[in-house]
Amino acid sequence: MSLPCGTRNYTYADDMAIMRTRTHQVLFIVFLVLLFTAPYYLGNYWLGVVNLIGITLIAALGLNLLMGYCGQLSIGHAGFIAVGAYTTAVLTGRFELPFLVGLLGAGLMAGLVGLIFGLPSIRVKGFYLAITTIAAQIIIIWVINHWSLTGGFVGIKVPYASIGGLVFRSESSQFYLIMTIAALCTFCAKNLARTRVGRAFIAVRDNDLAAEVMGINLLYYKLLAFFIGCFLAGIAGALLAHWIGYMQTEQFSLTESILYVGMIIIGGLGTTLGPILGVVFIRLLQQVLATQIVPFLEETMTFLPSGFATGIGPMIFGLAIILFLIIEPRGMAHRWNLFKSAYHLWPFSY
Amino acid sequence: MAEFLQYVITGLAVGMVYSLIALGFVLVWKSSSVANLALGQIVLLSSWFTYGMLTQAGFPLWIALPLVILFALGLGWVIERFTLRPLIAQPILALITVTLGLGYFIEGIVHFVWPWSVAALPRIFPQSVVHIGPAVVSQEYLWVVGISLVVFIVLTLFFRYHRMGIAMRATADDQKAVQACGIPVTVVFSRSWMFACVVAAISGILISSIGGITYGLVETGLKAFSVVILGGLDSFGGAMLAGPIIGLAESVGGGYLTPVLWAGVKDIIPFIMIIIVMVIKPYGLFGEQRIERI
Amino acid sequence: MKKTLILVSLFLCLALLLGTLPLSACGKPAAEKFLKVGMMTPSTGAAAEKGAPGGDGVRDAIEYINNELGGVNGIPIKLLWRDSGYDASKAATIVKEYMAEGALMFTTHASAEMTWVMELANRAEFPGMATYTAPNIYRPPQHIYGQLPDYGDDWSAFADYYLKNIWKGSGKPRMALHLLNNSTGYGARDAAKALADKMGIEIVAIEEHTATSISETDSLNRIKAAKADVLYISSTPKPTALIVKNARELGMFPAMTIGSGHAGLTKALVDLAGADVAEGVYGVFPTVSWGDNVPGMAKIVEYAQKLHPADVGNLDYLSCWSAALTVAEILKTTLETTSYDVLAKGNVESWRAIEKNGIQKLNYDAAGLHGPAKYVEGDNRLAKSVRVLQVKSGQIVPVSNWVDAPVVKYEEYSWFGN
Repeated sequence: MSLPCGTRNYTYADDMAIMRTRTHQVLFIVFLVLLFTAPYYLGNYWLGVVNLIGITLIAALGLNLLMGYCGQLSIGHAGFIAVGAYTTAVLTGRFELPFLVGLLGAGLMAGLVGLIFGLPSIRVKGFYLAITTIAAQIIIIWVINHWSLTGGFVGIKVPYASIGGLVFRSESSQFYLIMTIAALCTFCAKNLARTRVGRAFIAVRDNDLAAEVMGINLLYYKLLAFFIGCFLAGIAGALLAHWIGYMQTEQFSLTESILYVGMIIIGGLGTTLGPILGVVFIRLLQQVLATQIVPFLEETMTFLPSGFATGIGPMIFGLAIILFLIIEPRGMAHRWNLFKSAYHLWPFSY
Repeated sequence: MAEFLQYVITGLAVGMVYSLIALGFVLVWKSSSVANLALGQIVLLSSWFTYGMLTQAGFPLWIALPLVILFALGLGWVIERFTLRPLIAQPILALITVTLGLGYFIEGIVHFVWPWSVAALPRIFPQSVVHIGPAVVSQEYLWVVGISLVVFIVLTLFFRYHRMGIAMRATADDQKAVQACGIPVTVVFSRSWMFACVVAAISGILISSIGGITYGLVETGLKAFSVVILGGLDSFGGAMLAGPIIGLAESVGGGYLTPVLWAGVKDIIPFIMIIIVMVIKPYGLFGEQRIERI
Repeated sequence: MKKTLILVSLFLCLALLLGTLPLSACGKPAAEKFLKVGMMTPSTGAAAEKGAPGGDGVRDAIEYINNELGGVNGIPIKLLWRDSGYDASKAATIVKEYMAEGALMFTTHASAEMTWVMELANRAEFPGMATYTAPNIYRPPQHIYGQLPDYGDDWSAFADYYLKNIWKGSGKPRMALHLLNNSTGYGARDAAKALADKMGIEIVAIEEHTATSISETDSLNRIKAAKADVLYISSTPKPTALIVKNARELGMFPAMTIGSGHAGLTKALVDLAGADVAEGVYGVFPTVSWGDNVPGMAKIVEYAQKLHPADVGNLDYLSCWSAALTVAEILKTTLETTSYDVLAKGNVESWRAIEKNGIQKLNYDAAGLHGPAKYVEGDNRLAKSVRVLQVKSGQIVPVSNWVDAPVVKYEEYSWFGN
């Protein structure tokens, strides 16, 4: 951690603090205030986009713990999100249990399924593990499609989220629900990474043999990473289910899983900031392309046959990913850190 | 018995299609340890290019095919030069993700150039069926089997005896040592991408001559390589054997399990097998097991 | 340093785009009168083969309505066309955008798109219409309507035709189903489950396939073993073509009758399988074919040839074109009893007006492009007619008259969605 000029850690508490300086604290509070007043200056559509970003962020945080910290490559994240979504759909929609039960049940169920499919991680590493997680996703989706409890191909309806008598009906009330949980998850993820567990994860990622020699129980920590990563995926799935209201398995495609991996790599693996930046970047780009740029091109360039811009969407999307990685292969969080240290030392950066 | 024979023959034929796609994947992995997530899109693009040459430009097959091969070589060169070269010596996950972006980009190009998005290649292979005992198989699949065997043999010989092939294997083993020996690593990467694109183009032509050109090709590519990991990521022989094994499991397993279980059970049999094999043999059936040191 | 510069400029570009585009979109003077309608198609992504021509059809039709018919009662339609990319989260935010922009109603092209967004729309009472439909989107009926009959209706129409015209044996005909692994396939299964016994058909095998299958020889073998007299495929053109081709190779077809639902029976099927292979395949379709002598055909041919020559002969183009015409007619019907001011609000009040005074009072001949679109209480399908067609020397020609598919109340069956 680079600190601004003249800042020294004199106590352990200073050393442990997430926010070290006054500026830091003020900026953070300003950010929180800006975020939580969003419903007052964002329209319903952009608020919906922010909600989607919040939900995606929770899942991406889980994947980041699993992949960025513990080094277990997973390309089946959408499958675990689906487990969460369908668990809450069945619990709240079919059995009419309260939302909180559904939410927790979704996390636990996804975590347990993650444990089962995480078992091969004990023997398998790297891309081989990625393939078993792809297999996990395909098996999960197949089971959901053929199981009578989940509604099968017809799909299943999910009621509004509600706590006590409070029903989260409007976009802005859902925003508060989703953002609170997202903020909570971010906070937990950030802190988890700094505990014994987080450091054990990092040791496993860097070299699992060395970690084992140092007395880290590989089975326990790898499975724990799978459990926590998939638990967060399940929470995200539950929120998604209540937000969209109707679940059908084609929502959880393999492409979506691959995109999640892309998000956290573009953001920066193994950092808390990374998933946030990556998720915001990818989701915003998708939205801006679909609802702004492509229609805008269609409207302004009427001399071209309509529909020409259809291909431009994926082209810009792909190009942006390529350019970002070429310019900053270590992720946006790395660039942010570089910027921060440059700012700390400015104007005497040498 | 007739039924069983039919399942076996179908399984083998379908499996070889998977193998062929997987060869293109293994080729890149073998030299640079990059998982090519854009493989499906490369298959799609080269199929459309073949369509453009054969149907739109109206070239006869003997002109069109060399043109497609040339195009694939060029495509491989461009991909390597402009997306992967700048990332040499960067974290490997960045390279894998860049192929993800590449996939979207290629998909966009396909939408842009061929906006009608579904087409059939003119029939390249004879349509009559071949009878093997009581079982029936379409000639197209037999051609696929033959061509994938040829590609496999050529690649194996190339990697065993040709200087460039040996250089590729060496690069995969240790990039720094290879560089120190004076082998241009960039050229090795570039060549392996060019060859991989050619293999992808060949498999594209074969698959789309069976099922037509649609965006489904992307997912077929994705499925094929995840299936063939069973053989081991860095083994041509593994890819060649794993394909038919999976094909057989799908066809025979599906054949006898579907009536007793749910419909569509054959679609997950390969994936259940993958998980089981991964637990027993973590590097695939034929993958190279690396001994790790701390 | 250079890298930083590029990065900063990239960020700036993105920020600029983000900042300016919403402004440019709403910067026009508000005095102008128009009727906003949202229509999405899956023009990229997994279903692009249908969505891309569909999107062209939607935009061309609105251009035709605005330029040649002078809009609806002189008020132009403002089309918010969006490409959903066959992606659920994108589709969901697009519908939220439609609602926020004050669109009066929305349409989707694929039935899957509608299942992803319908609950959002139902919750807000935002009326929607899907061009291609499966029973699950309006059973039980709420605020979502089907422009054309659903995949279940296809099955019942085909089964009826088969019993009356093709089946010559005695006893119950043995039918096998080959289903795509989504609501397209299982919509037909639900109809078969609900109606087969009543109609006197025995379902002897149910097979499922994926959109990416490269051989269905094994599943056809099981169908052969089950001694099916007729095979019904509910899928998209590519797998349908593959199944037909494999069936011919195995010598099962043409001895066994093959029927296809309307998602599969398009020109693409004949192209992909080859005219000689697809010869004799039956299918059901809810719209007329290209070149049929109906009032609405001339303009479609004119616009497609002028703007999208590659789409000539494409039935997705045609059905989405007619979706746009239907939307225009709904707006027109609404304006007969509702003032423009109510619609100008673009809120739940206008949506209710559209639904009550527009969709539910709709009586539209669809310019002959498909069966008349008319709402009947408790049945959210607008057009209900389908006809049976057959591939004859490379052309898909009608072999039956238009028949109305009966309404099936799926939600009354305990197995539906369970």
